[in-house]
Amino acid sequence: MLDSPAKPLSQKKIAFSLLLVICLLPLSDYLLPAELQFAELMRPIFIFAILGLGLNVMTGLTGMLNLGIAAFMAIGAYTYAIFTCDIYPFQVGFWWGILFAALLAAAAGTLLGIPTTRLRGDYLAIVTLGFGEIVQDILRNLESITKGTQGINPLPGPILFGFSFNQQSYLPWYYLLLTILLIVVALNYNLIHARTGRAWRAVREDELAARCMGISSGHARLLAFAFGSGIAGLAGGLWAGFLGSSGEPGNYDFQISIITLCLLIVGGMGSILGVLIGALIMIGFNSIILVKISQFMNSAGLVSTTNVFTQPNNWKYMIFGMALILMMRYRPQGVCPEQVREDKSAPPATKAVKPV
Amino acid sequence: MTLLSINNVQMKFGGLTAVNQVSFSVNAGEIVAVIGPNGAGKTTLFNTITGVYTPTMGNILIKDHPLEKPLSLPAIVSFLISGIAAAIFLYIAFNIETLWAAVFTDHYIYQQPFPWAQIPLFVLEHFKALSWWSAQGKLIIGATVGTAIAATLWQGTRRTPELVLTQGLARTFQNIRTFPTLSVRENILVGMHSKLSASVLGDALQLPQTMKERIIAEQEADNILSMVGLLDSASLPASKLSYGHQRRLEIGRALASKPSLILLDEPAAGMNPSEASDLMLLIRKIRDHKIAVLLIEHHMNVVMGISDRIVVLDYGQKIAEGTPSEIRKNPEVIQAYLGGEEVLS
Repeated sequence: MLDSPAKPLSQKKIAFSLLLVICLLPLSDYLLPAELQFAELMRPIFIFAILGLGLNVMTGLTGMLNLGIAAFMAIGAYTYAIFTCDIYPFQVGFWWGILFAALLAAAAGTLLGIPTTRLRGDYLAIVTLGFGEIVQDILRNLESITKGTQGINPLPGPILFGFSFNQQSYLPWYYLLLTILLIVVALNYNLIHARTGRAWRAVREDELAARCMGISSGHARLLAFAFGSGIAGLAGGLWAGFLGSSGEPGNYDFQISIITLCLLIVGGMGSILGVLIGALIMIGFNSIILVKISQFMNSAGLVSTTNVFTQPNNWKYMIFGMALILMMRYRPQGVCPEQVREDKSAPPATKAVKPV
Repeated sequence: MTLLSINNVQMKFGGLTAVNQVSFSVNAGEIVAVIGPNGAGKTTLFNTITGVYTPTMGNILIKDHPLEKPLSLPAIVSFLISGIAAAIFLYIAFNIETLWAAVFTDHYIYQQPFPWAQIPLFVLEHFKALSWWSAQGKLIIGATVGTAIAATLWQGTRRTPELVLTQGLARTFQNIRTFPTLSVRENILVGMHSKLSASVLGDALQLPQTMKERIIAEQEADNILSMVGLLDSASLPASKLSYGHQRRLEIGRALASKPSLILLDEPAAGMNPSEASDLMLLIRKIRDHKIAVLLIEHHMNVVMGISDRIVVLDYGQKIAEGTPSEIRKNPEVIQAYLGGEEVLS
């Protein structure tokens, strides 16, 4: 899994160049003609990257296949909506809103995790799949609280240093989401290479050996579940804030969970950079390339209303499926697989003790 | 001092008795070997000692303490807390719509300030208006079920491998179980898990105390690596190591938990003679660090060369115990290994 032949570039270099490009991307608007400008469409990628990082903690690092990540995103989005919308008494504002969204989703994850983290592999996948459907149904039917299929709107955006985010320019949201993504990346990076993340990876590799080494696998799995759902909830809160509406419960369906899992598989399970690149490829394809192709085909008059195959949006899942099959055949470890970290925080110890 | 004493331990799997009435003890600073033909129950005995299995009969004492979590006050408090939490959860889950209406919808006028301080009052009014079944009934059911589940779960985890490790018993496995995608150094650090105290928050935010602890831990890991002779490959993934080195890594990982007794399950399996003699040196070195060793081994020159005492198992029963020279002469042991004389009829 880890034996990738001689790498021309280290992952660190790739990561920093990627960051630089993303930071400077809005400048491309000055270079490209109006119909090709795409920097504005990058924002869903950031949110899905956060969601992917949440799923990565559970599935990539701890090895618990979760097919219901959208449920935690929904919980986050509705929490944000209820805590910020002015039809409810709370109105705590954006920052507290996303914090509560993350905390409540983490609480929901803990609640679901207590009975289910003992399950292995496919069984856990089925439970989380069911949870994803149940949450949608609850949100749809709890009309007095969640407004059913109407969704909750309008929701306020963030106010930063007295500057209110309007929808005139996409730049404030662009950099806000990028900053939050970077914070989540930093938290994840710190955890992965520390005691907590080591315990997660040890449980993934060999649960019995991990337990015999004093790692309580139940606690480690529950923690990963709670932390991952918390991040997914944060992504949900940001999504709702970004759209200005919680959307309807059906928006957080199985497709979201599957796309998130796909971006993990394409990018590389367990690798942060892999998740980011996976999000860039999958969501970039979904929300930039397909959109641009649609616009082009519409303006060129190539779309017919009778033949659904002429609409690029309908090719989406075919292409996703094909991408997954090709990945599994040619590069099952993902574009940017997990690597063993080579550096360490301490200076090398003196070789005082002579090896046997 | 008796470090580990095993008293009449029996382990049954359905109708099969894998370990039957075995008793022996290991003293501090001793090397004890468990030998026996294939299928004699040696690994089962190890799994029973380390908490992977719970013995069907008999008990195992570490430093004269039973290997079980005691029913302490914090445990009971945690049952009660989970009972209360479950009661509140059930109550809210069943009455959420009326509760929400009674607390928020009925008292919130659009864009008017909300009387936050009166929330307990609203909740109380709502509670009084409910039927017995949906109010007290749900609370009682929730509390009972929550406490019962917490107590059952706790009972199921009274004797777990992680608890055994914290009591000072660390083990290796017969078939190598290193963590292949973790680096060699990380494998050792996993062994230190129970000795480190970094919390999620400390890890995520890299608090100064966590970083200090981490640097000390990494230095200690390097010391252990140089003891088992793997310092040069510290940053390689464990899967890249050779077979013999992976065995050493497992021993190092077990040593990292600072045990008082280390259990080695066939450490010399698949090793060539020179690797095996290196291993003997390592085991002696472990003993010199005041760590007792209990090992299962088939290489007779390893067993005879280093053990202070040998316990022989056959068909789950202990058939002999003694010093290497006693065991070598024991007729029962010879019969178990080579077969007795058969009378042809």
